[in-house]
Amino acid sequence: MKRTFAMLAVSMLATAAVPALAKGDLEAGKAKSVTCQACHGADGNAADPQYPRLAGQYHDYLARALHEYRDGSRTNPIMVGFAKPLTDQEIEDLAAYFSALPGKLGTLKGHVQGE
Amino acid sequence: MIRATSLALLLTMFSVSATAAEKGDAAAGKTKAYTCSGCHGIEGWKNPYPNYHVPRIGGQNYDYLVNALTEYQKGERSHPTMRAQAESMSEQDIRDIATYLSSITP
Repeated sequence: MKRTFAMLAVSMLATAAVPALAKGDLEAGKAKSVTCQACHGADGNAADPQYPRLAGQYHDYLARALHEYRDGSRTNPIMVGFAKPLTDQEIEDLAAYFSALPGKLGTLKGHVQGE
Repeated sequence: MIRATSLALLLTMFSVSATAAEKGDAAAGKTKAYTCSGCHGIEGWKNPYPNYHVPRIGGQNYDYLVNALTEYQKGERSHPTMRAQAESMSEQDIRDIATYLSSITP
């Protein structure tokens, strides 16, 4: 009985820990990212100001954006076309890859007046 | 000849800068960005439902920021908090804020 509880506790902990981690595969994301580079830059730091920089962005925000483009809740003629065929795993892989790249993005901490 | 070339160069530069959305006032943007830091100024801050990190916007590209804020304002991009924030902004506010945010370096 004790053992069953212990096992249950372990499996619950394991389940709870999963969402906190980036689930994507960096190498798979890198391979898939070739298409993205034309606009978002080879290093994810888009030089053309109309496209967002992705390098160093939070992985779950990037994944969220791709999910929104895929389900149509966020509309952008270019991104909808790219996001539509992506699987959940491919979204996680891409998000993991771009979030791991060194970037120029940061929070606003220490950058606004009145803090 | 040199004069003609420099005039042509000047004209080219002018037309290039005119195609991008006109930039705002970074100093004014810094003041106006105070509210943004409530969420975007805290490392690791998360949006509650659904649960994901609010994006890092310091150092993001200017035109993209202008577009994002304008989309929130028009309701083309749905996020209740961001929509409420953007609704109260003028075009000048958006340009000022985007100018300041895009100027931030880590």
